Amino acid sequence: MLEIISNYWLTFLIGQYPNGPLGGLAMTMIVAVLSILMSFPIAIGIAMARLSAWGWLRMASAALSSFVRGIPLLMLIFWCYFVIPIMTGYAVSGFWTLVAALTIYEAAYLSEVIRAGMAAVPKGQTEAARSLGGGYFLTLRSVVLPQALFNVLPGITSQFISTIKETSLGYVIAVNELTFAANQVNNQLLTQPLQVFTILAAIYFLLCFLLSRGLSALEFSIRRKRGLI
Amino acid sequence: MKIKNIFCAAMLALPLGAGAVHADALDDIKARGTLICGTLGTSEPFSFQDAATRTLVGYDVDICKLVADSLGVDVEYKLLAVAARIPELDSGRIDILAANLGWTPERAEQIAFSHQYYVTPQKLLVRADSDIQTIDDLVGKRVGATKGSSSEQLIQQRLPESRVIGYADSPATFLSLQQRKVDAQFASELVLVRLVNQSPESAPTRILEQSVVDEPWGLGLRKGEDALLAEVNTALEEAEASGEAAALFDKWFGEDTAYGLTRSFQIQPIAAD
Amino acid sequence: MDFLLPADQMAMLLWGLRTTVLLFTVAWVGAFALAVILVTVRATEYRPCRWIVDAFVAYHRNVPLLVQVMFWYFGMPEILPEGIRFWLYDHNAEFSLAAIALALGSSAYQAEDIRSGLRAIPATQFEAARALGCNYLQTMRFIVVPQALRISLPPLVGRALLLFKNTSVAMAIGVAELTYRTREIENMTFKTFTVFGIATVLYLLGTFALMGLGAWLERRTTPGRKERRHA
Repeated sequence: MLEIISNYWLTFLIGQYPNGPLGGLAMTMIVAVLSILMSFPIAIGIAMARLSAWGWLRMASAALSSFVRGIPLLMLIFWCYFVIPIMTGYAVSGFWTLVAALTIYEAAYLSEVIRAGMAAVPKGQTEAARSLGGGYFLTLRSVVLPQALFNVLPGITSQFISTIKETSLGYVIAVNELTFAANQVNNQLLTQPLQVFTILAAIYFLLCFLLSRGLSALEFSIRRKRGLI
Repeated sequence: MKIKNIFCAAMLALPLGAGAVHADALDDIKARGTLICGTLGTSEPFSFQDAATRTLVGYDVDICKLVADSLGVDVEYKLLAVAARIPELDSGRIDILAANLGWTPERAEQIAFSHQYYVTPQKLLVRADSDIQTIDDLVGKRVGATKGSSSEQLIQQRLPESRVIGYADSPATFLSLQQRKVDAQFASELVLVRLVNQSPESAPTRILEQSVVDEPWGLGLRKGEDALLAEVNTALEEAEASGEAAALFDKWFGEDTAYGLTRSFQIQPIAAD
Repeated sequence: MDFLLPADQMAMLLWGLRTTVLLFTVAWVGAFALAVILVTVRATEYRPCRWIVDAFVAYHRNVPLLVQVMFWYFGMPEILPEGIRFWLYDHNAEFSLAAIALALGSSAYQAEDIRSGLRAIPATQFEAARALGCNYLQTMRFIVVPQALRISLPPLVGRALLLFKNTSVAMAIGVAELTYRTREIENMTFKTFTVFGIATVLYLLGTFALMGLGAWLERRTTPGRKERRHA
């Protein structure tokens, strides 16, 4: 196993770069970070719609969110792969297809997390802000969201971790990420998939474990600074 | 139920809408001066990245070039995942597919096939110490195949009593064979030759001589592009007559390669049997 | 449906759906039972127990399910004695090992959900029950767990949905579930949109049924009638 690591660590980390396309762990991180960043504003929008005063908007957003959460990510990726190019008329690379699918998928899940956070902010605060003359958006921006988002930081962190893990499904549309890189190594070695998968599991574990620990330590120190603990 | 309706509508509308865009592919190709060829890019020795030069090479790649040359246009390659082959062709973003397309009557209802440009014997790999000698010894046993290849259905038809298990890729299938999860691995001879060569000394394997089926491969085109199909077939026939096709076969599969195969087929119309 | 797919292919898809549902059911029951055990063990004051449970949860939360399934299928049987191993291979090892991997993966998350529910129960209730003479197990069984389960119900329903959808990764080791059949028929007929469309509708039917069941359970277990409106 050590031999595989010493021979192929660069493939696991960055794929064929700089001689070929960037891949491996670096690609996994780029896809995950891009998707979570892009899904964030959409998720806030859906959460707002789901807590809206208009019944039809609540219904429509709830339907949209349950629809996306009702199909396996693998199916969603396939649909994006086939449908996006036909709708836009442009050839879309596997990379952007995966980012789009993950953005849609994560936006639906993240919106649930954020909605819970927004609903948990005491109603009295909204009422107070509104009675002081603050408009809907001002109230949302300076009273509700700052507290809501901070309170659901653990939820956002775990959503980020799932996104990293879900990028592994990119292999079905040949996105050159970590699992794809492992499969390439697998295809070259041919007879040692068990060792390759152990290395793969270890890399994912280290990455996700350290990230979730790091982010929760960060959250803890912010809480302490704000005097919340 | 509303959602279901929308989906049904989408399912029906998409292929139709996409198909109507391109009236005559041959005119389009001549006008733009390039033939866009869809290929897998991950299937050695048909279409793969050459490690040294990092360019796309292989038998499929050369066949596309040959067709483009005959049409008098440049060739542009587009890499595809297996599952995307047909939608990409339908949507008109590629003109021609050279992507391990085994001919079957059902597939031929969806797309048009050119003449066969490659025929692959599909064979069975077993552990060297196994007592399996013929295909019929496998009745009632477990056979592994690669998901997404046509092998899976072919072997199920040949051995209806046996249990066919489709794995993600050939290394996974091979591992299952070694771990005795399956009794035989079904794949094209090319893949099996590579596997035998790379089997560890502690666990040798052998190929059953008898081929289960010979699968003809054609280039894939959209239905109704008769002018383009005729040109493609002419290009293939000329390459056969001039010996160019045979030379391509030797370049990728012949004596000097790791496969050491001899050509046992000719470019000709696929016999619908 | 015949104009979309011939009856035999439709039947193949439905058989795939049946396997998906079966795999989900087996894995969910296993996962839930294991989660309850994990939580109970984790709640004891004995340190090594907590470490083991924490490590178990951390592994399953931080490694992609696909990799876990591969690991169980290709790795774990190798340490079994030969007799048991070959018996397993003769009896649909793919299904059982996929079910085990899915159950373990989901149990780690379910345990976390239940634990959050447990933490929401005031310690005074536990103390009161012990003071009234209930032993540890009785206190858990009759006082703490029922309340905690009610609080954990919404996240548990979410986990069940994820598990249902995640059964699709069993495709990688050859379990003939819905996604496996979908790709098989797509590959056979090249009718990509039709086949994926039908499969998507089938998945949606499954998940919507689960969502409905979850909503029903939530209504049933909510004591009194709470008006829940966020305006």
